[in-house]
Amino acid sequence: MLAEGALAAGCRFFAGYPITPASEIYEVMMRELPTRGGLALSAPDEISSLCYCVGASLRGLKAMTATSGPGWALMIETVQYALMTETPIVVALVQRLGPSTGGATQGAQGDIWLAEFSTSGGYTLPVFSPSNAAESYELAIHAFNWAERLRTPVILLSDKEVGMTSEVVNDEALQIPDLVNRKRATATADYAPYAVQEPETVPAFAAVGEEIKTTVTGSAHDPQGRLRKNSPQVINVLQRLQRKIEAHAEEMALVRPDLDPDARCLLISYGVTARAARQAVEILRGEGLRVSFLQIQSLFPIPRKWLDWATAGVEMVFVAEENLTGQYRAALTPYLSGKRIFGINQIGHLISPSHIARAVEGLMA
Amino acid sequence: MTTEALYLSPTAKLPYCRGCGHSLVVRQLSNALERLGLPPRSIVLTTDIGCVGLADSLFPYLHTVHTTHGRSTAFATGMALADAAMEPQGLKPIVMIGDGGAMIGLLHLVHAAQLNVDITVLLHNNFMFGMTGGQHSALSPLNWVTATTPDGNSIPPLDILALLRTAHATFLARQFATSPDLATTIADAINYPGFSVVEIVELCTAYGTRWNQATGASLKEIADRQGYAIGELETEIERPTFRDLYRHEQNVRKPKRAKPPVPRLNTTAQLKNEVRVVLAGTAGERVQSAAALLCRAALSVGLYSTQKNDNPVTQGSGFSLSEICLSPKPIDYTGMECPDVVLAVSDEGWKELQANGTVAACREETLLFVDSQIEAHPPMGCVVPLPLRREANPKRAALAAIAAWLENNPLLPPEAWDAALAADPAERRAESLAALEVGRRLGGECVKSS
Repeated sequence: MLAEGALAAGCRFFAGYPITPASEIYEVMMRELPTRGGLALSAPDEISSLCYCVGASLRGLKAMTATSGPGWALMIETVQYALMTETPIVVALVQRLGPSTGGATQGAQGDIWLAEFSTSGGYTLPVFSPSNAAESYELAIHAFNWAERLRTPVILLSDKEVGMTSEVVNDEALQIPDLVNRKRATATADYAPYAVQEPETVPAFAAVGEEIKTTVTGSAHDPQGRLRKNSPQVINVLQRLQRKIEAHAEEMALVRPDLDPDARCLLISYGVTARAARQAVEILRGEGLRVSFLQIQSLFPIPRKWLDWATAGVEMVFVAEENLTGQYRAALTPYLSGKRIFGINQIGHLISPSHIARAVEGLMA
Repeated sequence: MTTEALYLSPTAKLPYCRGCGHSLVVRQLSNALERLGLPPRSIVLTTDIGCVGLADSLFPYLHTVHTTHGRSTAFATGMALADAAMEPQGLKPIVMIGDGGAMIGLLHLVHAAQLNVDITVLLHNNFMFGMTGGQHSALSPLNWVTATTPDGNSIPPLDILALLRTAHATFLARQFATSPDLATTIADAINYPGFSVVEIVELCTAYGTRWNQATGASLKEIADRQGYAIGELETEIERPTFRDLYRHEQNVRKPKRAKPPVPRLNTTAQLKNEVRVVLAGTAGERVQSAAALLCRAALSVGLYSTQKNDNPVTQGSGFSLSEICLSPKPIDYTGMECPDVVLAVSDEGWKELQANGTVAACREETLLFVDSQIEAHPPMGCVVPLPLRREANPKRAALAAIAAWLENNPLLPPEAWDAALAADPAERRAESLAALEVGRRLGGECVKSS
C-alpha cells in the first residue's frame, strides 16, 4: 500500500536494493512503474539507490527508494545532500530489529533517532509514520506532497509489522490529499537556484536539462549556488533550510486524537504500537478509567500545538513504542513540561494491548 | 555570443596551481564541446569533490551539479536514467572526478558501465589526493612519494580502465593532459551514445612534482611502467545503451496483471467477534498462501482480516507461520495474545509454536488441530490430531487444516472459497478444492467422534 500510495502521489522513479522488510516495496515498484510511464531500477547498493533517486529528482521526476536500518545507515550521506541541495525525495524506511543487521524478520521502532537526527547541523527531516496499510497509502502521498512543496527529503517511517502484514483496506474510507508538485521557476535570465522572495521560504525549482540554467551544490553556497566562505548570504541559506521546515510545521501535523476531556492521563503512540495502544484505551475505559489517546502520524516536526491541546489538563503522559530507550518519548519530553512522563517500551515483539493497559493502570495507581 | 563563450569563457581565471593538469583538461573539454556544438543546456557538468570540483563555476552556461565525494557518477547516472524515461530527452551528463573519487565511488563507475548509461566520465588521474594535502590514492604508481607514503608507495595501482572493461564498458580511453589529442578524445567520448570514460593522466604540481622526479614529459614513462595503453582502447562489440533498452522494454512490456479483487458476495459471515488463528508448518508447504486464501475467502463475505507472517531469515527452509485475525470490524492489534485456534501441520511448525510462546499462551478453550505425525505435548487447550499430511499431502495440509477447523466452526459459507479461488489457474484451484474437501471430511469425522 505504501508503494501504491507513492504511485498515486506521482512517483515516477524508484531505485532499490533488496533488504527485508522493505523488499516488497521494491518489488511492487519494479512491477508497476515501467507500465505507468516511469522507471524502476535495481541499484548495486543503497548509496547508489538514493544517489540515482536524487539525480532523477534533479532531472524533474518524483523519486523514492525503500530500505531498512542497515541500508538507511548507508544513505545518510546522500540524504544530507538532498537536504542541502533542496532536492525533493522520499525514503521509505521500513524498520527492523537493530542494531547492525539485527533481526531482519522482526519488527521494531528503533530507528527514530537514526532517522531524524542523521544530519550534520541537526536539521529537521519531516518523518511520517503509518500504523497500518491504509495510512501507508495516505502518508505516502503526504510525504511526496511535503517533499515537493518544501523541496526536502522526507522519511516514511514504517516497520516490518506494518509493511509486511496483509490486511483489508476499505478504499472508500481512504483520506487522499490533493497532489502537490514542486513550484517551477519561470524562465528568467537571472534565476538564482537558492533565492527566495520573503516571506517565501522555498526557492522555485529548475530541472537539470531544461531551459533555465541551474546550479546545484552540496557545499555551503549563496543564493546563486556559488561556494562562498564566511558570507552572511551563505549563513542565510543554511538558516532558511531549517526555517522552511519550521514555518510549515503546524501545517504538516497529522494526528489521530481520541481525547477524554476529563482524563488526567494521556497515552501517546505511533506506528504499529498505536494499534495496540488504541485497543489498550478500550480496555482501560471498559474498566472505568478516564484516558485520552493521541496517535501521532507526523513524528517530525513535532506537532506541538496538537501536543499542547491533547495534554491540557493532563498530569501524566505515557508514550508506548517498540524500542528500548523511549526514542520518541525523549524527543517529546521538552514539550511536555510539568507533566509526569512514562515510557512503555519493549523490544523483540509487538507490544500487546494488555501490556500497555497493565502498565498504565500500574502507574496511575 | 560566440560558440566559444557558451562553454569556458576565454577570459576565465582558472583556479588551479601553476602547471596543474586540471587547467589543461577544462580548456580541452571546452574545445571538445565547441567542436561538437552541443546546446549548453543539454549538458550537465557533474563534479566530484577535490580540485576537479572547482570546474563548475568556469562553465557559466552549462547546468552544473557539484556532488559528494565519489558519488558524482551515481548522481549523473540518476539524471541520465530519468532522462531516458522522459520526453523530450537528450541530457548528457559529463562527470569530472579524480582518482580518489573514482576509487571511493568505484561501484558507481562499474554499475554505470554495466548499464551502458549515456554519461561521459573524465577521470583526472594525478596519482594522489591533491586538495587534502597530497595523500596516497589507489591509483598512485609504485614508489610514488606522497604525504602518506613518504618512502614511496608499495601497493600496486589499480588499472581502472582494465577493471571497467570487465564491467562491459564500451568506450574506454586514456590520454595525457598534455596531449594535443585530448580534445578529440574527449569529443569522441561525449559523442559516444552510452557509457564512456577518459582517464586523463596528469600531475599534481602542488605535491606530485614536488616530491617525485616527474614532469609533464615523464608522464609517458610512468604510463609505460604501469603497462597503460594510451588513446582510445579497443572494447567489446557495441551493445544497446540503457536508453535503447528502456525504449525497447516500453514497447514490448505488457502490464502485469495484478490479482483481480475478490468478488463481494451477498452472504455475510457468521462471525460476531474477532477470531485469532495461528497456522504453522514448514517453509515451501504453502502455509502462508493457505492463510492468504483464508483471508480472501473472509473478504468475500465482508470480514476484515490481517495476516502477519513469520519465517526464519532463510526463505525456503525451516518453519513458516501465519497469524490471522478475522473480524467483522477493522482490526487494531495484529498480534496473538492468546489465539483462539492453532493449526499445526508439521513438526517444524509445532516446534516454532513452542519456541515463540504460542503454545504457552493457549487457554483451555483454544482449539488445536495438529497433524497426527506431530508429537504434541501442550500444557493446555483442546488438541485434535488429524492425518492431514497423509490424507491431503504435505503441500495441502495447511489448507486442509483450515477446512477441518471451519467444519467445526462454520464461519464462512462454502461459496466464499469459490470467490477466493476464482482468480487462480484451473489446476491450482482444483488442488485447493481437493485440499478443502479432505479437510472438511477429516473435520467432519472429528465432529462425529466428539
